[in-house]
Amino acid sequence: MSPHRRSELVPGTLEMLILRTLSLGPNHGYAIAQHIAKLSDDVLQVEQGSLYPALERLLSAGLVKAAWGTSPTGRKARHYTITASGRKQLNAEVSAFDHVALAISRVLGRAEPG
Amino acid sequence: MSWLDGLGHRLRSLLFPGRRAEELEDEFAFHIEQDERHHRLDAARARRRFGNPTVRREEIRATTWGGRLDVIRQDIGHLRRAAFRDPGAVALIVVTLSLGIGANAATFAVFDRAFLRNPAGVHEPDGIRRFWIEHTRTGDGVPFRGPHLSYQMYQVLAGATGQPGNVALFATDFALHLGTGLSGPRVGAVYATSSYAQVLGVPIAQGRFFGPSEDRMGEDAGVVVVSHRFWLRHLQGRSAPLGDSITVGRRRYRVIGVMAPEFIGLDLRAADLWIPLAAMPRSEAAGPRWWEQPADYPFRAVARWPEALGKPGFEERATRLMRSYQRETFKQSADTLQRVFVGPLIEARGPAPLGQDVLIMARLVGVSVIVLLIALANVINLLLIRSEARRREIAVRLSLGIGRVRLVRLLILEALVLATIAGIGATALGGAGGTVLRRLLFSFVEWTEPALDGRVALFTVAITFVAGLLAGIPPALQASRPNLTAALKSGARQGGRERALLQRGLVVAQAALSVILLVGAALFVTSLRKVRALDLGYETRRLVVGTVEHADGDAPAAPAFEARARDVATRMAGVPGVEVVARTSIMPMWGYASTKFYTDRDSAESIPPPWPVYVSVTPEYFDAVGLRVVLGRTLSSDDGTPEVVIDEAMARGVWPGRSPMGQCLRLATRDAPCHTVVGVVGNSRLSYVIEPETTPRYYVRLGQKDIGGTPPGPVILVRARPGTAALVAGELRTELTAAFPGAAIEASTMRDRLNSEYRPWELGAILFSMSGVLALVVAVVGLYSIVAYRVKRRTHEFGIRIALGAMAADVIAHVVRSGVGTVAVGVALGLAISLAGGRLVSSMLFGVSAANPVVLAGVAAILLAAAGLAAAVPAWRAARVDPAIALRDD
Repeated sequence: MSPHRRSELVPGTLEMLILRTLSLGPNHGYAIAQHIAKLSDDVLQVEQGSLYPALERLLSAGLVKAAWGTSPTGRKARHYTITASGRKQLNAEVSAFDHVALAISRVLGRAEPG
Repeated sequence: MSWLDGLGHRLRSLLFPGRRAEELEDEFAFHIEQDERHHRLDAARARRRFGNPTVRREEIRATTWGGRLDVIRQDIGHLRRAAFRDPGAVALIVVTLSLGIGANAATFAVFDRAFLRNPAGVHEPDGIRRFWIEHTRTGDGVPFRGPHLSYQMYQVLAGATGQPGNVALFATDFALHLGTGLSGPRVGAVYATSSYAQVLGVPIAQGRFFGPSEDRMGEDAGVVVVSHRFWLRHLQGRSAPLGDSITVGRRRYRVIGVMAPEFIGLDLRAADLWIPLAAMPRSEAAGPRWWEQPADYPFRAVARWPEALGKPGFEERATRLMRSYQRETFKQSADTLQRVFVGPLIEARGPAPLGQDVLIMARLVGVSVIVLLIALANVINLLLIRSEARRREIAVRLSLGIGRVRLVRLLILEALVLATIAGIGATALGGAGGTVLRRLLFSFVEWTEPALDGRVALFTVAITFVAGLLAGIPPALQASRPNLTAALKSGARQGGRERALLQRGLVVAQAALSVILLVGAALFVTSLRKVRALDLGYETRRLVVGTVEHADGDAPAAPAFEARARDVATRMAGVPGVEVVARTSIMPMWGYASTKFYTDRDSAESIPPPWPVYVSVTPEYFDAVGLRVVLGRTLSSDDGTPEVVIDEAMARGVWPGRSPMGQCLRLATRDAPCHTVVGVVGNSRLSYVIEPETTPRYYVRLGQKDIGGTPPGPVILVRARPGTAALVAGELRTELTAAFPGAAIEASTMRDRLNSEYRPWELGAILFSMSGVLALVVAVVGLYSIVAYRVKRRTHEFGIRIALGAMAADVIAHVVRSGVGTVAVGVALGLAISLAGGRLVSSMLFGVSAANPVVLAGVAAILLAAAGLAAAVPAWRAARVDPAIALRDD
């Protein structure tokens, strides 16, 4: 494990990451957490439990839906699927995020002024 | 993303919270299991990695609707517990607030009627205007504005508007009687031009209003439109009243219409009849074409204002026309500076100075606002005490993370709930109070709405809300910023510095306002006493006066009248309780007669004014009214010799420095027989309770000839034994009614008849006394609560002091001194304000100056004494506690 510090997540980022994960395919809560941790090389370590309030918010906003199913190991688990509104929201947020990241990079001198 | 998305999920969480909780449990358990398996951890480590599930559960719950409902349910629970925890304080707060709010609700209803509400039943009242005339050429040179016009002035105004059909002229007479004679029920009539209905858009329920053909000057069409109430009361609510005829005075009218129930005319009094202006009875002296009389001003005018007509332009034009009319008509005595004004339909809002009754209403409103302020100050203090008592509870809640916003919201909500309960009580109080006020102060006004109607209720709700907010915000803000560690410590003794300052400030404010009300009460009560104690020259309490009034032409001929009156007098003499019976031509203090008179040397005109006037009386008069005999004797009953009795003022004025006894007075002509002065009596009032000058008087025998025809004596005066005046008055009324059927009979004590003159001081006294006492009670109770609470918290400290050897008396004195000290500051402030504002009320007082030191000192003493008592009682109780117990107290 790299000795990077756990970075704080900007509020709302967690929801975006979840949506991104689910856009690749439906999954249950634990798998989502693992995916985020793996892809970000453990830099973004989500405290396991904090996933669920974020999932609740996404459910309330209608960006994901949930259903009970069976896991590959035969255990009963709740699976989440991204909805059409979710996809729309994800695209919007990603492009917004890109804009902000680009702006910050420019300010920091990392990218070409465009 | 719309609100519909995810709605299903939200509803499900709300409606099936149990299932949702189970689901979460399962999910968390699954998650932890997977983590165990994946990373080959033991159960405990996996749980730790997961974090605190309860926190997550709460987080999730907080975002759902169920979570928000939770908050509301918790808040309600808190409110309920808070209310029942200290029912005494809650009851006090509620009662205090409801008194303050109720007083305002009652006076608002009255104020609304006079100032804010247009006359009911008028169509689009904002489009109607009243006309006002400013007269400069008046008797005393002071310009005066009023709504009254003559018929010709109306014609000038109608011409100036360019649309005469839009102007209505009317006059009112509320002293008419139904039926012939004066014994029928009283009715009020409006004499109006036919344009009245059109201008006002009044609703006719049956039939029609009269038209121009029935309103031709010089003709009497004999038609009338009656009010809804008149139809019910005097026409028995018949289903087909049109065509019925009624008699008013000596005229008959045919009913051609019935008004809708909501319209009662444009005045505060209710009108019963609408009669064409052309049929208006005028006096004989005005002649057959009375509308051409330029100096007769019984009318008022309103107009439906056309949009295009600008107000200032119109006022200028009308003024010019009015002045040229003046110059043509009155020539030498023209009022060349007359001006025309236009005002709104509500008469009280016109450009004329406010009438007496409106001023009373204004004073009422001022007093109720003061009472509300006192009540509010008290309630804020009580709430501050409560929040201080709950300091620890609040500190615990804050440290558990309740959030300052939510806490403030909760405390304000508490105050609002208390205010709402008070508001409900206040509504009832306001309704009852309003009814009492109406009957007490404004019995002549026709109230078209009940004391408790929509507007009053709305006003009460608004005031309740504002009061709740004002009362709740300071304590809430203070409570939410405590020093948490200090508050949580069980031995904490310090209160917030700010809080104590605010409490002191509120006590000062209450004391100051109470002083103002009490000073007002004392001043008015003193004025009333002084006015009532004035020596009018008559013994009014034992004097019963009976009057007989006939309609024009109905009176029996003079000899018959005389005979009947004498009969009544003789019969009254035999009634038990009657001491003396006399007759006179005019009631005392009602009027007088005058004629030229000549002494042996001069005539009346060479004497400086005021010139003497005379009264015709029977010899018993002087005894009956209680005039003192200063010199000589009173009139004898011998008709043969002409005699006269004069009063002191006349003796001094006509024969200064000499005895008037035996002097000659010749009445009406220089050659009249000599009326010898046989006696001098004390002075008495001529017309009013308060008279700056004494008008000299002389008394001649009733029926004495050669004075230019005195009328028969329609006034019977009876002197009753103390305490029997009311019974005697009843007897007199019976006798007079029997002797003069069809006439208007009145019999009452002189005292009762004068009551209307005392009314302004009576009203002021009642008003300020009631509110002053109320304010005092509220302020004292408030102070008691504050001191009691503070003392309770210092019980520990007192225990120490006493254990160390202090005397209980010293401890009590210390507490009382601090309590009274605060109140004293307020009293000083209140006295200063009273002195400064004294000028405003000095015109309403009598015999006492607004800066009367006795009054001010007395009020200050009462308030300080009450404060001392309020502070002493709890202090005394605290000092009596066994020091051992006090020291143990936590």
